Amino acid sequence: MEPHLELRDVSKSYGRVFAVRELSLTVPRGSVFGLLGPNGAGKTTSIRMTMRITMPDTGEILLGGVPIDDRLRERIGYLPEERGLYRKMKVLEQLEFLGELRGLDRKEARKRGGAWLERLGLADVGARKVEELSKGMQQKVQFAGTVIHDPEIVILDEPFTGLDPIATRLLKDLIDEMRQRGSTVLFSTHVLPQAEELCDHLCLINRGRTILQGSLAEVRARFAKPALRVSSPASDAELAAIPGIAAVRHHNDDRLAELAAGAVPAEVIRVLVGRLPVEGIEPYQASLEDIFLRAVEDDHVAVV
Amino acid sequence: MLRWSKLSTIIRREYLSRVRTKAFWITTLAFPLIILAFTVLPTMLMQRAGGEHTIALLTADEALAKAMEAGLPTAGKTNEADDSGFTIRLVHLTPEGDAAAQRARLKRDVVAKRYGGVLVIPETIYTDGKLELLTTNTSAFQLMSRLERAVGRGVTRLRLERAGVPSDKVAELTKSVDLQPVRIGKDGAENAEGFLQSFFLSYALMFLLWMSVMIYGMQVMRGVLEEKSSRIVEVVVANVSARELMTGKIMGVGAVGLTQYAIWTLVLVNLAVPGLVTLAGYTGAVISPWLLVFFVVFFVLGYVLYSTFYAAVGAAFNSEEEAQQMQSVAGWIIGIPFVFMFPVMNNPDSTLSVVLSLFPPFAPVLFFLRMSVQFPPTWQIVLCLVLLLGTIAVVARVAAAVYRVGILMYGKRPTLREVLHWARES
Repeated sequence: MEPHLELRDVSKSYGRVFAVRELSLTVPRGSVFGLLGPNGAGKTTSIRMTMRITMPDTGEILLGGVPIDDRLRERIGYLPEERGLYRKMKVLEQLEFLGELRGLDRKEARKRGGAWLERLGLADVGARKVEELSKGMQQKVQFAGTVIHDPEIVILDEPFTGLDPIATRLLKDLIDEMRQRGSTVLFSTHVLPQAEELCDHLCLINRGRTILQGSLAEVRARFAKPALRVSSPASDAELAAIPGIAAVRHHNDDRLAELAAGAVPAEVIRVLVGRLPVEGIEPYQASLEDIFLRAVEDDHVAVV
Repeated sequence: MLRWSKLSTIIRREYLSRVRTKAFWITTLAFPLIILAFTVLPTMLMQRAGGEHTIALLTADEALAKAMEAGLPTAGKTNEADDSGFTIRLVHLTPEGDAAAQRARLKRDVVAKRYGGVLVIPETIYTDGKLELLTTNTSAFQLMSRLERAVGRGVTRLRLERAGVPSDKVAELTKSVDLQPVRIGKDGAENAEGFLQSFFLSYALMFLLWMSVMIYGMQVMRGVLEEKSSRIVEVVVANVSARELMTGKIMGVGAVGLTQYAIWTLVLVNLAVPGLVTLAGYTGAVISPWLLVFFVVFFVLGYVLYSTFYAAVGAAFNSEEEAQQMQSVAGWIIGIPFVFMFPVMNNPDSTLSVVLSLFPPFAPVLFFLRMSVQFPPTWQIVLCLVLLLGTIAVVARVAAAVYRVGILMYGKRPTLREVLHWARES
């Protein structure tokens, strides 16, 4: 897939502390890209540098293969983690203002703002002040403001924090719609199940550096060792003695038998069932959370 | 690089969001009244402190009493060279046998406000010139000076008559003089104007300048704080640079101030509001167009200087309470010229006046004050503007750096050291 947004060896430090260190990532065009990592990993700094709110010390950031500048930036729809609206401003004027800031002319911004309000079921609040709206309504207006200029790429920083279930649903729908229209969506989160549900590509960063990235399937294939979930009265040692099983570990309530490299799952299952009493057995797909927790742990081990 | 398309969007929002509020119109209408209350009223009251006074005149000297009556501003007839509206009614009393009892009674009358005062003129007045005024208010200096003048004149007349000067000559010989200040403009034009008018004008304009620089500077700070606390600021600076946002805000709010001036000028010129007629009567005749031009120039420069500072203060802190300390620093600095108001007005050419008024933080208010009293030489005007513009350039650079970092900082209140560190970093 053609890269849409690229960060190349980007570093940014505040005083002696590196916020981001030689970070590289590639967001393919048309993907829903999850930028993942624990708090303080450098997600917001990376996004702010992409939006040219702060400038990287070294490295470059490309949009569509061209170093990003103030004009190109207008093609991005950005929803920061710390977000809000002018409280005393009327809703429609606010959308008009946000549209104008992104380079729309005033009439066009007004027209699109009206259309968005209609779509979100807020047609009758256009003349009300933002502060008179419920929190949920404000969040809807915020989304509309983010995409009012019809951006080719949307960047959402921790978009789900503080959303009620209805707004969460709406945002997921909007992301889905973007994907279908061929726009690129990049969002950061530290909530991994959410990422797993939404994104098709991802990048995990920790302490300012890229740990792993690729499509969801690639990452799974590369980093999740194939395993079987086994429920059996047999001991761990007995299980581990089966040819093709490399190790046994416990994860939550599950007992997982990790397969040795090159082992064929069907063959291992056949042998296992023949030798030991087994109540249930099924292939286990590691969750992103598993993969990432281990990756982050390994990262710390590697450095320490 | 500032982009006009972005700037104009910001300016438009800042401007409309303020001009459209009720508060703007209320302050626009109330402000002249406040100025009136602070400046015109006291001067007017001081001038008109007169009113009607009933003074008891206790003397055995009939001739002196008569002579005094003639020289005092009485009802229906004001004295020459005295347009203050003072009228003094004299009640002539002759001393009684029991002087102590009479004095005690008169004192009670004064306390009971039957008399505004009692003038006690002894026979010895012709020789030692001493007399008493029994009164409850010894600081009514205007009343006292008028009485003193009246007695003095009466005594002089009688002395002259006693010395043998014919009475028809006496009036001629004791005719009073009247000092009329004439201000000479740069071009040699003469302007007859009273001290009070000129004082009032300078003071009122200085006050207006000071207040509007403060008020609009603080509006910039509030605007920045509001953007921070509502968290809209990051959405905005993702599309315009921090410098564009700050500049646009300062320009938008400044335009609101100029709009307010324009409204006031229109009102003054058209005298649409009856209450302002007096104000216009005082100022209309004597404001020169140049003074008005420099008023706007110094408002703009003063406003830009202080509002950039206020913008940085707003960006550095999270709430108005936190910003209080730094905010009052600016308030103090720009308030200092009031301390030097009188020396500068009395002697606008002294070294002290020149140096103080050229000092950039004071210049907008103090240099303008000097200008309103006496037009300074051109080289000083140029120097003043150059210094002011240079200072603005420096302050704006530092403020922009602090602003850029500050608007994205939430949470803990930064120390002054941290803020300076932000400025150095960028």
